Amino acid sequence: MSFRVRVLLLLAGLIAAVLGVTLFVVNRSAESEAVAEVRQRFDRSAEILLQLIQRQNDQDAALATLLVADYAFKQAFAADVPTLESNLESLLLRSDADSIAVVLPEGNTLAARTLAGRVEIPSAFAPLVARADAAGAERADGFVWIGDELHAVVLVPLLAPDLVAWVGLGHRVGDKLAANLGQYSGLDVVFLRDGARVLALASTLAPGVTAEVARVRPAPAPEFPIATLAGERFLVAPTPLPELAQAGASVFVLSSLDARLAPTRRLQSRLLTAGCGLLAAALVVAFFFARSLTRPVGQLAAHTRLIAAGDYAARLDLRRGDELGELARAFNAMSTGLAERDRVRDLLDKNVSPEVAASLLRDGSALGGEEREVTVLFADLRGFTTLAEGLAPRDLVALLNRYLDRMSAEIEACGGVVDKYIGDEIMALFGAPVAAPDSADRAVRAALGMRAALAAFNRELAAEGRPPLAFGVGINTAHVVAGNIGSHRRLNYSVIGDGVNLAARLQPLTRRAEFATDIIISESTRAALRWKYRLRALGEITVKGKTEAAAIHAVDGPA
Amino acid sequence: MRPSVLARLLAVLAAVAPLPAAELALTLTDAASAPVVDAVVSLHPLDAPVPAPGPAAEVEVVQSDGEFQPLVTPIRAGTRVRFPNADSIQHHVYSLSPAKRFDIPLHGGASAPAEEFPLPGVVSVGCNIHDWMRAYVVVLDTPWFALSSDAGLARLEAPAGRYRVEIWHYRVAKPDSYEVTLAETEPLAATRALVLRRNRRPARAPESGGGGYR
Repeated sequence: MSFRVRVLLLLAGLIAAVLGVTLFVVNRSAESEAVAEVRQRFDRSAEILLQLIQRQNDQDAALATLLVADYAFKQAFAADVPTLESNLESLLLRSDADSIAVVLPEGNTLAARTLAGRVEIPSAFAPLVARADAAGAERADGFVWIGDELHAVVLVPLLAPDLVAWVGLGHRVGDKLAANLGQYSGLDVVFLRDGARVLALASTLAPGVTAEVARVRPAPAPEFPIATLAGERFLVAPTPLPELAQAGASVFVLSSLDARLAPTRRLQSRLLTAGCGLLAAALVVAFFFARSLTRPVGQLAAHTRLIAAGDYAARLDLRRGDELGELARAFNAMSTGLAERDRVRDLLDKNVSPEVAASLLRDGSALGGEEREVTVLFADLRGFTTLAEGLAPRDLVALLNRYLDRMSAEIEACGGVVDKYIGDEIMALFGAPVAAPDSADRAVRAALGMRAALAAFNRELAAEGRPPLAFGVGINTAHVVAGNIGSHRRLNYSVIGDGVNLAARLQPLTRRAEFATDIIISESTRAALRWKYRLRALGEITVKGKTEAAAIHAVDGPA
Repeated sequence: MRPSVLARLLAVLAAVAPLPAAELALTLTDAASAPVVDAVVSLHPLDAPVPAPGPAAEVEVVQSDGEFQPLVTPIRAGTRVRFPNADSIQHHVYSLSPAKRFDIPLHGGASAPAEEFPLPGVVSVGCNIHDWMRAYVVVLDTPWFALSSDAGLARLEAPAGRYRVEIWHYRVAKPDSYEVTLAETEPLAATRALVLRRNRRPARAPESGGGGYR
C-alpha cells in the first residue's frame, strides 16, 4: 500500500471516527436529556391534573353556592320534581358546567341532568355525600360516572335553612381537560375508562394513537418505557392519581420521542452533511499533501537510481524549504561528492596504473610497504634531445605522448604497471602491486612488444617525414620494497631497492655498440624466466655504484 | 274567630279543677353525657284520646340582633305564631317545610300577620337574606310537651297512663321514641342519651362572632 493511500485512509478513518463518535454522543445525550425533561414533566403531571380539577371544582362550587342561595331555587326544590328538573336545565344552561344534580341528604339522587337531558343515576352520589357527612364538610368533591362519561363533580349543601339537599355541578373528563393538562404539562394526555371494556374518555392525540394506548395500557415502570404507538415512538407512563383510579379511570401522559428528537435529527443531518463535506475536503487536501510528500520522495528515489547507475551529473531541483528540500540538497551534495571522487579516481587511474589505483582504493592509502620479488623495466628514448631541438615544445609533447601511449599500452598488455614517466623515460613494474610469479617473462614480453610497437611507430613517423626513434630497455628482477611512498599529503606507489637501481643502470648499457642490442636483462631476470627467448650473454659488467660484477644478457627475440 | 264566652268559662274551669296528674322528669344527654338543650319532649297518650285543643293560642318568634328568638318553639297544632322584627334591618322569614310553608317577604317591625300552624311536624324557619338565621317551630298534636333546659331537663305533667314519649332535637336524624307508663304516686325520673348529628349552621360575619375567612 502506497504512502499516499495510507495517508488518505488514515485521514478518512480519523474523520469518519470523529464524525461517528460525534453523532453517537449527540444522539445519546439528546435522548437522555429528552428522557430527563419528560421525566420532570411526568412527575408534575399528576399535580397539574389535580390542580386543574381542583380549580374547576372550586369554580363549580362557587357557582353552585350562588345557585342554591337563590330563593326561587329553594322554592323550586320545595315544589315538585318536574319543576325542579326544569329549573336544573335552566341553571345548567346558565353555567358552563356539563352536568347538574340535586341529591337528598341520605344520598339518593333526586334529579340529575346533563346538557343532553335528564339522567338516572340514583346512587351515584351516595359515596360522596357519605364522605362529606362524615367529615362535616361544606362541599364534596369527586368523580361520578354518567353513562360512559366521567364527570368531576362538586356538591354544595342546599340550606332551607337546614341542609335539605346537596346540589352538584360537574365537568366532563373530556378533551378540554386533556387539552388543558397537555398545555400545562407540555405532554400528551389520554384518559381511559378502566374495566373489562377499556374506553378512551379523552385524548390530545390522534384517534389511532389513543386507541393504541387504550389497547396497550402501559404499566408503571421505574424507567420510562418507550412504546411504539401507531408507528411513532412515545415515552409513556400512567399518572398516579388515586382519586381517578378509585373512580375506575386512569390517565396516561405521553411524549413523542420522535417529535422531541426532531431538532436533534436535523442537527445530526447537518452534522453528517458537514462531516461528509469536511471529509471530502480533507481527502482533497490530504491527496495534495500526500502528493507533495510522495512526489519528491519518488523524485528522490528516481534520482537515487540515477546515481546508482552512475549518473552523478543529474541534479535534483526540489525548491523546498523543508526537510525534503534539505534531503534533496544533501543528495545534490552527495552527487557532487561522488562525481568528484570519480574524477579523482579517474585521474588516479591515468596517473597511476589502474591496478595501483585499485590497490590503493582497496587497501587504503596507508604509508608503508612490503618486500616482494618484482621485475623492474626502464625504457629510455634515444636521440630525444636531437628530436627536441627541431620541434616546438607543444609538438614535442604531442610526439612524446604518442610514443609513451604506445609503450604504456604494451606494458599494460603484459600485466605491467607504469610506475612513472621521468621525462622520456618509462619506469614499469611487473609483479607489483599485484603479485605475479612470472613477472620476468611478462617484462621480457613487454620489452619485445615495445620493440615491435616502436618499429610500427617509426613507420608512422617516416610517413610523416620525421626521423625514426630508438630506445634502450633495462630489465632486472629483484627483491624490493613495494608500497606507498611519500608524505601524508602526497604519496606514490612505488618500489625501492638496489634491484631498481640495477635496472636503471642496465638501460644505458644498450648504447654500447659492442652489445648491439636495445634490451638488456640481468642474470636474476634470466634465471627467473620460465619461457624460452633468444638470449645472448654479454658477459659480466660492474655497474656504477656496485662492486660485484654481474652477468647481463641481450634479448634478441622470442624463441 | 273569637272564642265564645262559654268556651272561655269552660277553659277556666278545667284549669282550676285539680285533675289526677303524673309527672315525667327526663334528663337528656348526648353521647358525651353533656346535657342536650332545646330538645322537645312530648307525650302521646296510647290508651286515651288526645284532649281537644283549647282556644287558639298565639306565640312569638322574634327576630332580634340577626337571630330568631327563641331557637326552638314547641306548639300545639293550630297555634298561631307571630314573627315580629325587633331589628333595625328587615328580614325575609320563610319556611319550605312540608308541615307549614310560608313566606313573609322583607319586612320590618311587628307588622307581619301571625301564621297559623295547623299540621303537626317540624317547621324549619329561616331568613332568606341571612343564611345563619334559623328557628324551629315544632308543631305537636298533644298538649303535653316541654323544652329541655340548660341542664338538659324536661319536666312534663300529664294524667297517669301509657304514653309514647317522643324526643326531637334539631340535631337528631330521627326523633327518639319510646313507651312509658306514668303513675300518680311518684314522678318518673329518667335519663335519655341522644345521638346528635354535627351541627350544620352557616357562620355569621366576624363582627357577629364569626372567624373571618374560613
